[in-house]
Amino acid sequence: MRLGSFFILSIFLAAPAWSVDPPSDASVRGGKTMEPKIIVNSGRLEWVPHKRELGAWPTLSYQDRRATPEPQRAAMTAPTNGDAARGKSLAWTWCIACHTLPGDEWPGTVGSPMWHYKQYNHADALVYQQIFDPRVFNPHTVMPAYGTFGLLADQDIRDLVAYLQSIE
Amino acid sequence: MTISRIALIFLLSFSTVAVAAQPFVYREFDLFEQYEPYVSGDLKLSGSYEYWKDPANLDYRIAGNPDENWKLNWKFMDPPFNQAVHGGHFALDRGEDLFGQLNIKGRFATCLGVKGGGKSTSKLAGLRAGYPRWRDDLKRVAGLEEVIEHCANKQGRVLQSGSYDNSAVSIYLASFSNGMPIAIDVARAGPMKESFERGRKLFHLKAGAFNFACSSCHSHNIGRRLRGNIITTPYGDAAHYPVYKTQYMLQSLHLRFVECNLDTRTQSLLPGSRPYTDLEVFMTALSNGYPVTVPAERDW
Repeated sequence: MRLGSFFILSIFLAAPAWSVDPPSDASVRGGKTMEPKIIVNSGRLEWVPHKRELGAWPTLSYQDRRATPEPQRAAMTAPTNGDAARGKSLAWTWCIACHTLPGDEWPGTVGSPMWHYKQYNHADALVYQQIFDPRVFNPHTVMPAYGTFGLLADQDIRDLVAYLQSIE
Repeated sequence: MTISRIALIFLLSFSTVAVAAQPFVYREFDLFEQYEPYVSGDLKLSGSYEYWKDPANLDYRIAGNPDENWKLNWKFMDPPFNQAVHGGHFALDRGEDLFGQLNIKGRFATCLGVKGGGKSTSKLAGLRAGYPRWRDDLKRVAGLEEVIEHCANKQGRVLQSGSYDNSAVSIYLASFSNGMPIAIDVARAGPMKESFERGRKLFHLKAGAFNFACSSCHSHNIGRRLRGNIITTPYGDAAHYPVYKTQYMLQSLHLRFVECNLDTRTQSLLPGSRPYTDLEVFMTALSNGYPVTVPAERDW
């Protein structure tokens, strides 16, 4: 009985540590991601809102007790129903920094080239999983998990699959 | 030597209650690397050290080639790259003014760690090359910019770490160490070594929306392209800070970490935060033996 109440009490006391808020040494003000602005001939930094809100994901802070989203299997339902044209536009936003895409004169070379992607004959579901969360195939991958981390929606990934599968 | 430790479960205590269970918080690490706390350690990582080890004899033909210039580790933008007056020179002047104001009684220099203190600037040589260091008064390892903030405070001035004036004083102090090799000891057991090890671990800790670690690019994809940028080595990259950049005017190393974090969609931390200082120790140790060079410029 005594042990039980102590256990419950310790969970209660520990609860604030599981907070989803960014840590106190993060550059966040009023819930917004801030970036520093240098003021010439001033001893103070000015902080202005950053163009993106980044407070939802784990940081490098020692106080950050939030977990990294774990690798997740995606179940893509057939048919793919992707819009290749929209997929191309998404690819030129999200993929092109690392992957070479046809028509790019400044190709990224961190990821594998996407030339002639169609020739690999990958199943749509496999390509979907690779974009949704590639850690399922390779835990060492440097590629972001666009689905698990909430960066791309289901239809976005379907459109990307349609575009990649269309690259002759 | 690579030790596979990906997807290690990161143990963190979640409560100050001593007897509370310590739950695992799932965090991921990039493949761990060993690093030598000396600039030539790059020979085992990227090998580009061959091209930039001698600042006086850089091959400027490589600098003109966008496919190859990453091999110079951007050292071609160190002085005397731009012999015209640039923002770094204005900062140097500003730093001199501020130092004069802060050090009227010689106490600012004493606080910074100049033996004997005093108003003479001759003893400032070598100061920058020995930071970050353990500070008895702060009870922790601190970088030069944090110490400038701390010592200016004692003189009644606010010089926040990362602010223009703080970096200006830092550049001015560093100018007395120009040409002197960075020399911090992270090999001997103690707080500096512990800080270096924490920094090394942080360098491999994945974070942010893209789940990148520093090492995802700067250890395991050096020489590869991110469109127009080519990824460089982490070795030899701390000797020219604070740096003049048009975007930031003056950028301390901690502000560079802020920019790195934001560019990789990771919530940044505050300049002077513990993780950034540990990363500073790590990065500075990887510059051990490379000469201090200010005022330098960089595009990124």
